[in-house]
Amino acid sequence: MRCGFCGHEFPEEEGSVGCKNCPMSGGCKMVKCPRCNYENPPEPALVKGLKKLFSREK
Amino acid sequence: MSFLKKKGSCHEAPTVVNAGAKRVALVGNPNVGKSVLFNALTGAYVTVSNYPGTSVEVARGNATIHGEQFEIVDTPGMYSMLPITEEERVAREILLNERPYLVLHVLDARNLERMLPMTLQLIEAELPVVLVVNIMDEAKRMGLTIDIEQLSKNLGIPVLGAATAKKVGLPEIRAAIAGTTPSAKNHFNYSRQMESDIAQVAGLLKGDYLLSKKSLALLLLQGDDEVAALVGSVEGNSALEVQAGVKEKRFERRESFHLDLSMERKDIVRRILDGVFQAPEKRVVTFAERLSRWTVRPATGVPLLLIVLYFGLYKFVGEFGAGTLVDFLEGKVFEQHISPWSTQLIKGLIPWEIVQELFVGEYGIITLGLRYAVGIILPIVATFFLFFSILEDSGYFPRLALLVDRVFKTIGLTGRAVIPMVLGFGCDTMATMVTRTLETVRERVIATLLLALAIPCSAQLGVIIALLSKAPGALLVWSVCLLLIFLLVGLLAAKVLPGETPMFYMEIPPMRAPQLSNVFTKTYTRMQWYFMEILPLFILASVLLWLGKITNFFGVMVRGMSPVMAALGLPEETAVAFIFGFFRRDYGAAGLYDLQTKGLLNPRQLTVAAVTLTLFIPCVAQFLIMKKERGWQVACSIGVFVSVFAFGSGWLLNRVLLVTGIL
Repeated sequence: MRCGFCGHEFPEEEGSVGCKNCPMSGGCKMVKCPRCNYENPPEPALVKGLKKLFSREK
Repeated sequence: MSFLKKKGSCHEAPTVVNAGAKRVALVGNPNVGKSVLFNALTGAYVTVSNYPGTSVEVARGNATIHGEQFEIVDTPGMYSMLPITEEERVAREILLNERPYLVLHVLDARNLERMLPMTLQLIEAELPVVLVVNIMDEAKRMGLTIDIEQLSKNLGIPVLGAATAKKVGLPEIRAAIAGTTPSAKNHFNYSRQMESDIAQVAGLLKGDYLLSKKSLALLLLQGDDEVAALVGSVEGNSALEVQAGVKEKRFERRESFHLDLSMERKDIVRRILDGVFQAPEKRVVTFAERLSRWTVRPATGVPLLLIVLYFGLYKFVGEFGAGTLVDFLEGKVFEQHISPWSTQLIKGLIPWEIVQELFVGEYGIITLGLRYAVGIILPIVATFFLFFSILEDSGYFPRLALLVDRVFKTIGLTGRAVIPMVLGFGCDTMATMVTRTLETVRERVIATLLLALAIPCSAQLGVIIALLSKAPGALLVWSVCLLLIFLLVGLLAAKVLPGETPMFYMEIPPMRAPQLSNVFTKTYTRMQWYFMEILPLFILASVLLWLGKITNFFGVMVRGMSPVMAALGLPEETAVAFIFGFFRRDYGAAGLYDLQTKGLLNPRQLTVAAVTLTLFIPCVAQFLIMKKERGWQVACSIGVFVSVFAFGSGWLLNRVLLVTGIL
């Protein structure tokens, strides 16, 4: 994924997903850019599923 | 430091899955598309782990190309073989310690001249290099032409053109990985003096090393301590002789060696690129580049920012989201359909009035909690996040950071603080956590304070813009108040807290037209997250308010706050919005919306209430995060300061407005 702030490209797994310290809802699931720490929304599961489906069909 | 050990004696770093697979290392500067290429080659199954003994993460994955297994390693960004940062050190260690079968050097076609010196260094080290000139599509659009074949001849290694983000050149890269017999023995000659110095140092090296002696000699002459230590251990008795030789050469050259080497490498690159690279005589400056320049220069950047805020926040979020959409959802769907229907249903199902009140009463779960969440907050955050995602995907935020850097320095922050500030408009709680990424404790405390005080969250901002835009001048007064308070408090905090403001620099990504799929995906994800977070809390707040009402505690609180409301020139009922604000900022703003709809506030009172409520004490979650990040003392100090300051500012504003009669 591409960081919305600094443009750094990194695999989603590389960002620190969520934050256990958050008292709100057990983490917002945002993906932190390893370079600038900007919090990026991850790709929704639905979109990931669709992409996977289409890539299999190719 | 084991990376340069004698052949056959180095330890292998952890491999992923396929021990027998040939290893391919992707190297290059940051932001050249290495990770995109890595993902394209490896697919979804990768492992990310810290490189042994460091906090630097390295991604590894497997690829099957033409029936053969390869292990692909995505190395951290590096600029040179002489490392400065820990990331560069790890990248170099992977290159030299893990003995890759192939090194794919990925560079940006638009910055070929700037990035080729590293290719020279990789070749010089006699590593098996294949060069991938990436982002060729953008380079072409800028009118740059690159003769890939000629470049390959000049460098003496395979060179491939690609645009990995658009999947262009991937088959060729795969074919190169599978079919290349890597070797890099080409030599580039420096000046006679430089070659003589290198030869003298290289001639002193008698041991067996993983990389070429020319490369080692250059690293020694550049003062690479790790290489010096290694040479010391490998050379044994001759180590002192090498040390003396290097010292003598470094003394002769003194400070100029780095500069001389850099200039000579640039000359070599220019010679290599002769007839390979052509830029249009009058370079085509794209609209995106022009716009990018305008956004960072204060003379054009500030008006542009105001235009963005006017159309994005005022017209789109304020008028359309908080006006048109809220009128429809809250005014029509809830007031005319859902609320009457659910009231009828609940009253038919539940005979006890007190329980009916819990669901459909004044503070009922459906008639207040759900109505606020779905009817008021949802359309506002939806439009806000859409606007936010458009700006984000266009690459505007890093430019905003550069634009405000100078102003932020006066309040003890740097442009880097734009990250938590911008995120604060989405949710101040999340943004408070992000302040931990600022360099100094001083910056973190100032940013935490300003977030708690003067940065409204998206829903609060949307409601306030919608309410104030209906009263001429009110929005301007609110904006000026908030801006002045932000700067004044920041300035005072910077004076009170000792310390220096660090430097801020960042490599800014290119500006581009936002991609619709990205914008909608990000908006959807943020909305989903926000809604799932607020809905249970709004329901909980409704239950607590209902409890407060039946126990009369709520009435006592409202009456208790009435002197404060009176001092602010506000009707007693406004206390309700402030009590709501204790739960969440957006809940308080929605309360203000209800008061305005009932016609209880005139423009002056509305403005005073909006300013006070914006500055008002951070919500419970933000307070807890402040405590976690900064400790009880700082969190309580900020909480008390913000509360006193909010009511003080509201009182003062009310006085000023009464005296001047502006509103």
